[in-house]
Amino acid sequence: MFRLTGIAVSPGLSWGPAALLLQRHLAIRYAIAPGRVERETARLDEAREATAHQLRAIHARFSQTGGRDLAALFEAQLLMLDDQMLVPRARSIIAGDRVNAEWAIDRAFDEFCAVFVEVGDAYLRERRGDVADVVGRLRRNLLPVSAGGGRLLVELDAPAILVADELAPSVAAQLDRTLILGLAIETGSRTHHSAILARSLGLPAVAGVGGATRHVRPGTLVLVDGYAGEVVIDPSPAVIDEARERRIRHESRLAAVRAGQHGPAVSADGVAIRFQANIERPEEIEVARTAGAEGVGLFRSEFLLGGRSLDEFGEEPQFRIYRDLIERMAPYPVTVRTFDIDESQASGGPEAGQETGAGPVGLSSGPLGLRAIRLSLRRRDVLETQLRALVRAGRHGAVRVLLPFVSAVEEVREARAALESARRAVRGDGGESPEIPLGVMIEVPSAALTVDLLAEEADFFSIGTNDLIQYCLAVDRTDGRVAGLFDPLHPAILRVVRHVIRMARRGGRSVAVCGEMAADAGALLLLLGLGVTEFSMSPASIPAARELVQQVRLADLRRAAARALRLPTSRDINRMLMDEFPVFVPRPGGLNGRPHREGER
Amino acid sequence: MLTRTVPVKNALGIHARAAARFVHIAGGFLSRVSVTCGARTVDGKSILGILLLAAARGIPVTISADGSDEVEALDALCRLVESGFGEEPCSD
Repeated sequence: MFRLTGIAVSPGLSWGPAALLLQRHLAIRYAIAPGRVERETARLDEAREATAHQLRAIHARFSQTGGRDLAALFEAQLLMLDDQMLVPRARSIIAGDRVNAEWAIDRAFDEFCAVFVEVGDAYLRERRGDVADVVGRLRRNLLPVSAGGGRLLVELDAPAILVADELAPSVAAQLDRTLILGLAIETGSRTHHSAILARSLGLPAVAGVGGATRHVRPGTLVLVDGYAGEVVIDPSPAVIDEARERRIRHESRLAAVRAGQHGPAVSADGVAIRFQANIERPEEIEVARTAGAEGVGLFRSEFLLGGRSLDEFGEEPQFRIYRDLIERMAPYPVTVRTFDIDESQASGGPEAGQETGAGPVGLSSGPLGLRAIRLSLRRRDVLETQLRALVRAGRHGAVRVLLPFVSAVEEVREARAALESARRAVRGDGGESPEIPLGVMIEVPSAALTVDLLAEEADFFSIGTNDLIQYCLAVDRTDGRVAGLFDPLHPAILRVVRHVIRMARRGGRSVAVCGEMAADAGALLLLLGLGVTEFSMSPASIPAARELVQQVRLADLRRAAARALRLPTSRDINRMLMDEFPVFVPRPGGLNGRPHREGER
Repeated sequence: MLTRTVPVKNALGIHARAAARFVHIAGGFLSRVSVTCGARTVDGKSILGILLLAAARGIPVTISADGSDEVEALDALCRLVESGFGEEPCSD
């Protein structure tokens, strides 16, 4: 048994035999039941037939058009197909090792290549390419739908945990919930579309699990912990039992919430805490309401673009979406964050949440470049279009506007001017033009340190923990070698959060914490102790957080937070939390021990 | 069983098309055919086997035929190799 750590992208716990999806090689590998050997052999033979048919057709075409050398090459490929080392060998691998046809072909090819690499002659070694061509054609013919490989997984005969090198949204969208129990993906992030799809399907998922496809063999028992962001390979029975108990707890909690039995989110000593939802798509409103969210604390509007350019996404369609959101969330408010995108996404490049490549020389498209509010202020037309749509939608219910990535007071002033201009425009069209609260996302250290100044300009604040932690600690989370330094309990983070809360309160402004940090029990305890009373998190994380609140006294948490602020390392802070709140922050060993990353890589 | 050793003459060695011709001819005889190059012996009716020999120009290969038509088989196959697999020195 061993564990791999990744990013928790979709909550839940599940376990089962692994099926491997090597999308880069269009390969899917899983073990089959003895009764499936015949069916799997038939699939292989069908693919062999299709391959032979295609090769004969190509051969015939080249023979007629005079490409004699090429015609001969495809004749050679036809011979390779039926060579005892290829399809017949794969047939015996299926029967002998009980694996699926795709895997059997890969194995046969690997065996052949293993001998070939011993051969010294580099020129002839390249000949392997001819065989690879045949193998590639066979693999493609095994796919029910060759383009995109969307239906790659329909042949699974038992539910499995999908372990993939990458998972394109087009493939994720077609996953059969009855056949796939959970996902462990080597790449991706919380905001990758596949992660969002996993959440909407209710599939436990962990992304960024480096080396997963190397460590896991098809058929190996794998446990996906979508709460802790952990993948356990070959878990012991005790770990499975513990996970089963935890899953029952989570499910009964969720059932209680659905039945409306969850009660108000009030602490044991009577302080009301507000939980709102972070969502990306309008459809998620229902999930948010079911989870007991009292509003949307963060609507990531850039996901509406879906690869369209900003210019293609006009005021009218935006207005209709915002109005719909607001009406469905009523009487609770909806906070819409203005487009948080970079230049390439603005022109309809990669979709929101997907990494973008390097821009032209001298133009950074990285996270510190021209993006979010910086880009919005350069494209005032686009910003005002969005704001006009929001002002109009504001006639239908409570809506607030949130500015991403603010680093200075001037940006808020300019955005405020744009908002006023949008309101004037709406009034000019003869419509009612309600006042819309304008908020600032605190995710850049300069904004955190000037909250007292920003409080003069902004109506409310929202701490974006992911970015704030990343920029305060100067850690690039996408670099696996330093990702472990991303530490929500770093003493600096607690101090920054305390500062922001104090300064905002002094300025008479509310502060919400909006990010996955609050989905972690230990961090939630400290944030409550530091005085945070508003949270926004993914809907699935809300029930557990509400339940925690009901069981704690804020007075105790304030004392714990004060103590945490005197401790020198996050390790000490975590240990203190384990001592004081063992129910919520169990010691490691159990799966739900908060994975403590410092020095453990 | 009959055995004969012949050098590979064509410029590109035994590549895929050449191997295909060899297997094609070998497959037309009842005799079992094997080919040895260096330390490796492979089935002369397996194209992948022949490719695994990685026989380059100038390298001798030993062909064996065993069966009722072994004389004809060995003749035909040796002729093919010695003729450079029917390829012109410069490709047509």
